[in-house]
Amino acid sequence: MGKYSEDPAWADIVPLPTDEGGPNPLAAIAYSDEYGEAMSYLRAVMASNEFSPRVLELTDDLIDMNPAHYTVWLYRAQCIFELKYPLEDELAWLNETALAHQKNYQIWHHRNTIVDKLGKWQGEAEFVEQMFELDAKNYHVWSHRQWLVKRFGLWEEGELEFTERMLEKDVRNNSAWNHRWYIVNGREAEGVRGVTHEGIRMREIEFARKAIAKAPQNASPWSYLRGIVRKSGMPLASLKELVLQYADTSKPDGVKSSHALDLLADVLAEGADGKQQASEALDLLSTKYDPIRKNYWEYRKGLLGGGSSASTATAA
Amino acid sequence: MAQQQETLRREDETEDTLDEALRDGARIEELPSDDSDDDFEDVDEDFTGPPFPGKHLLKQNDLDLPPWLKPETFALFHDDLTTTTSEAQVKVTADCLPLLTGKERLNGLRYNKYGIPHLNREKHVAFLKDWLEPLPAPYVVIDASRPWVFYWTIGGLSFLEQDVSVYKQRLMETVRPLQNPYGGFGGGHGQYSHLAGTYACILALAAAGGLEAVDRKGLWHWLGQMKQSDGGFTMSKGAEEDIRGAYCAMTAISLLNLPLDLPPDAPARKAGLNTFTDRLGEWVGRCQTYEGGIAGAPTNEAHGAYAFCALACLSIIDAPHISIPKYLDVQALLSWLSGIQTTPEGGFAGRANKLVDACYSHWVGSCWALIQAALRIGKTQDLWSREGLIRYLLCCAQQQGKKGGMRDKPSARPDAYHTLYSLSGLSAAQNHYSYDYHGPSQDGENGRLTAAFNWSAEGPSEAELAAWKIEQEDVVIPIHPVFVLPLDVIERTKQQFQKGGL
Repeated sequence: MGKYSEDPAWADIVPLPTDEGGPNPLAAIAYSDEYGEAMSYLRAVMASNEFSPRVLELTDDLIDMNPAHYTVWLYRAQCIFELKYPLEDELAWLNETALAHQKNYQIWHHRNTIVDKLGKWQGEAEFVEQMFELDAKNYHVWSHRQWLVKRFGLWEEGELEFTERMLEKDVRNNSAWNHRWYIVNGREAEGVRGVTHEGIRMREIEFARKAIAKAPQNASPWSYLRGIVRKSGMPLASLKELVLQYADTSKPDGVKSSHALDLLADVLAEGADGKQQASEALDLLSTKYDPIRKNYWEYRKGLLGGGSSASTATAA
Repeated sequence: MAQQQETLRREDETEDTLDEALRDGARIEELPSDDSDDDFEDVDEDFTGPPFPGKHLLKQNDLDLPPWLKPETFALFHDDLTTTTSEAQVKVTADCLPLLTGKERLNGLRYNKYGIPHLNREKHVAFLKDWLEPLPAPYVVIDASRPWVFYWTIGGLSFLEQDVSVYKQRLMETVRPLQNPYGGFGGGHGQYSHLAGTYACILALAAAGGLEAVDRKGLWHWLGQMKQSDGGFTMSKGAEEDIRGAYCAMTAISLLNLPLDLPPDAPARKAGLNTFTDRLGEWVGRCQTYEGGIAGAPTNEAHGAYAFCALACLSIIDAPHISIPKYLDVQALLSWLSGIQTTPEGGFAGRANKLVDACYSHWVGSCWALIQAALRIGKTQDLWSREGLIRYLLCCAQQQGKKGGMRDKPSARPDAYHTLYSLSGLSAAQNHYSYDYHGPSQDGENGRLTAAFNWSAEGPSEAELAAWKIEQEDVVIPIHPVFVLPLDVIERTKQQFQKGGL
């Protein structure tokens, strides 16, 4: 006897028990009777395509027991729309659920579906920022944030400042760097130029330069710079001064960042008669500053002979 | 509530991984197990090695350390600024370094003559077999992901050269209620078909030799519903579209020799698409980010698991040296892949400035064979540190004590997911893969995508074993770089569906 079988409101449903497939199923989960019963009622209502308030409650119950249950989430979304259930109420319920189960594909997909239908973004950005207090690198939350920006055109609603806030907290948060890239360059298809525009490029290089000054051995701003170079096709030589600040091989303690030395190799290779110097920079990485990547640095050296430098080729 | 707190506490350590199940796997690590596996006081009774093996060699070992483990290397850069990221990194390095340098040892493991733990085969086998038996109630959170468990266990056992055909009957029975009448497999009985569950069921069935259980015609129809007009695939009807979908779908199509033409009722046909591969390479290309790595979907952050999905997907639709450079900036990707091998740990992180996690030994480690083939680099040249990864996996990713299994990092508990992907990564680091550039990319008669069937592998030389400081018994058999199963299983599957048709 269980919660549903004893409830008169469910008396008309004949539950469909779990088919285990055979007498000795592999990795069978000894889940609770409550879960088994709820699933048997879910199978029954799904078989008859029932969308009703009681089904919503059933999905709530199941999600509580197993938040990774994608079928329940998808069926719940259908149910919400069929019933014209108030979307604000659904969001309020989701807020609580998200805090309990934030690392979950389904919950963010569902949120996305609901907010899209609701057509209102007020409160979302704040909620997302709250989620970052728990984990500032949560992949789904960043993905949801990108979607919000695109869906509601929030490109210039303080989003750049938001990335600054996030990077102020942790300049090594690569997810925040990725979001910044998106905000700056995400509207190319609509004709809004990003780092291909000189003014914006200068601003972003300056942003990266300041971040590098805080922590030179931080891969994120260096990758950001490389991304700018690849996308804009700017000459590497203009970064030489910055790079030498952190990779001055002429001084005993002149190398403050392996990433700077990596970029220096490309800067040098681009210059006239720079191949030999580039090769020496890669040797330093290989033998002293970054020996775990020795094979990669050796490969890069091999590319020097071929003419073009390794990682600055224009993106496809 | 306790579970919730545990989850939150671990967020900074828990990497994002391929599937919802995997995310929950991190939670499972924290759930109480029905037997306690960390009773180190019990360890002595099954300790088989000589007492303190190699301890007298420790001084000598110090001299023998690879350069990235020498203090003068990892003390080179020390940015003063402390942030959440750097704090987490410092902690992990502190956990790993003593194990990597031999200053601390894993209880209950045998050590080889170089002072590195042997691969604890028997215990890992026992650990995976345990996962095939009834799982306790808290595992309800993977009820929608059980197909993964079939693959992690049966696949993992096959990597350890166990006869997994013994599971054929039970597996075929177990997955029968998961297969829907409209095609594809769901996570459980009565659950919607899902590409992750379908992929995992197919691989597990292939390993055990039970692929006749698959309704190929239904699968073909259902896959047609997943194909999107932009070229990608959704994971389930109405669910998210991401690069896992592209890889999982193409794996099913190529392995089972399904027709490449979209079914007549596929919605993507309305957008002018005719085949499963239409616009696919372009869609994958759009997932490459400014960092050079690959995101789960266009504009998201570059992530190691998605890099593998992208490269493997492209290596199915055509030969890697043709399709990979066609759709991706290979040098940018290479630079990014190289950059996420963590130092001094030697394993891989999933993203820039994230922590090492043994599962990326596969997701990133298995990219190398594909990218080396894309660049047509022969086996005499490597682009990465095999030694670094091997050392991380053997010294840090093996669970100590008697239970066996492999883990994300020393502070985490082992699980079947990390065990399979650690073993796959170990295999990728130890074996050499060659691609036959003259092999067919498509079977003329049936139009089957055959590019992924042109791989061969060879094990390490004695000199390599010595250089990596391991012995022959620590070498894992070659695992197929695209389909992530032993090579003979892939060959058998290729033959089984030679005929095609529906």
